[in-house]
Amino acid sequence: MKKKINNFSLSHQKYVKKLKKDKFLVIFFRIFILVAFLGLWELLTHFKILDPFFVSSPSRIIAQLGELISAGTLFHHARVTLYETLIGFLIATVLGYLIAVGLWWNEKVRKIFEPYIVVLNSLPKIALGPVIILWVGSGTNAIVLMCVLICIVITTMSMLSAFIAVDEGKILLLKSMHANKFQILWKLVLPATMPDFISVLKINVGMSWVGSIMGEYLTSRAGLGYLIVYGGQIFKIDLVMSATFVLCILAFAMYYLVSLLERRYKK
Amino acid sequence: MKEILKFNDVSYFYQTKKDEIFALDKISFSVLEEDFVSIVGPSGCGKTTILSLIAGLLKPSSGKVILDGSEKIDTKKIGYMFQRDMLFDWRSVWKNITLGIELQKPDDKERKLQLADELLKKYSLYNFKNKKPRELSGGMRQRVALIRTLVMEPKLLLLDEPFSALDFQTRLTLCDDVYDILKSEKKTAILVTHDISEAISMSNKIIVLSSRPAKVKDEIKLNLSGETPLKKRDDSSFRGYFDLIWRELTNEEENK
Repeated sequence: MKKKINNFSLSHQKYVKKLKKDKFLVIFFRIFILVAFLGLWELLTHFKILDPFFVSSPSRIIAQLGELISAGTLFHHARVTLYETLIGFLIATVLGYLIAVGLWWNEKVRKIFEPYIVVLNSLPKIALGPVIILWVGSGTNAIVLMCVLICIVITTMSMLSAFIAVDEGKILLLKSMHANKFQILWKLVLPATMPDFISVLKINVGMSWVGSIMGEYLTSRAGLGYLIVYGGQIFKIDLVMSATFVLCILAFAMYYLVSLLERRYKK
Repeated sequence: MKEILKFNDVSYFYQTKKDEIFALDKISFSVLEEDFVSIVGPSGCGKTTILSLIAGLLKPSSGKVILDGSEKIDTKKIGYMFQRDMLFDWRSVWKNITLGIELQKPDDKERKLQLADELLKKYSLYNFKNKKPRELSGGMRQRVALIRTLVMEPKLLLLDEPFSALDFQTRLTLCDDVYDILKSEKKTAILVTHDISEAISMSNKIIVLSSRPAKVKDEIKLNLSGETPLKKRDDSSFRGYFDLIWRELTNEEENK
């Protein structure tokens, strides 16, 4: 490796050195900000400059997490929320995608439904909460449905506009090759919009957590959203913070999986 | 030589919400086998409309388009090459050129696959068989697009300004390449272009169109010596043809 670098000119060596230095700086400051934030938080609460009753503190969160783990409840709550989120995510993505395909297929149907989709998109889905509970009952079903409602409209809208934006010229090429509509969809429209699909997945990762937590605020007996609401009600901010922390980790893991998928696709 | 395409008093109207656009006015011409016919005309005069009519993408408002003795156009006999290469980025070069086979599932699939293989070798793209289009230069991409068209063994090739998106040097070399490929494969081709020199150097017949509604203004038969389009540009009569077509087109612009 060293030998290889020596083969290049001095200016190239300088350039590579600078790249490495820049990368180091970025990573250094990322870690620095985290450590400084946590350290400051801990110190300020330790010396009672900030009241840990209101802002909690890293050490109290760790203690709280330890307590939850030894009681065995943490994994239970995390699993409940994760389950709701994943199911909601899957249903919304698959169904939203299929609806978009259907609307692409038939232009008349698309035009008819256009205003409805716009209204559904701008409606705050949380407003439907009471209706959802009345219709499907409280509990998991309601939460999953909330999650689906939040993700599905944006999935359909994003995919549909991606489908429509596919190069007219390429469609003409396929038509000149005698392709039927299904072939145009299968060979051109779907593969051409894969990058858009991946960004929809990324958006849905975020949105589906919003959906499941919001659903749990509305109606739940378990889950991370439940822990947060419960913690808030009994003024136990440590519990709120601990649940939020776990939520951060899970959401990040899910986002990471999607970005792995993206990298694999790009290869 | 056998007549492969005949336009018989073909007119075409485009329908829009506000207007009806009269694009083609009783166009008549014919193309023989192994002809290389260029269509030139002022921009927006309906050159591409003519190609779309031949490809069966549009139906004439009146008159007849007869392809290979039949009024019912069989798109399988047509190969269409566009201004942009229209290669699919997510497919390898090989997957791109076999796209037509994939779509039409012809009976002689094996033979066509073999032809694809041969064409890649012949036109020095074989090493790029498994590469993605984005790794290729503009000229190479257009050659891949041409092979994709040739693999389906069309009787008639439609070239819609296939060189206009390229830089000048690539354009001249690619002209030679395409000319060479079409001659050695004994193909009939119709080229739409607004580049007069390109039309003169490649074709044996040029159809000059008037501005919209397009009529056939002139039909010029050419006979230039030279093996390649580039060498044909050195022929002494090149200049004369150029001036003739230039005058006809500029007259049109003034008359507008």
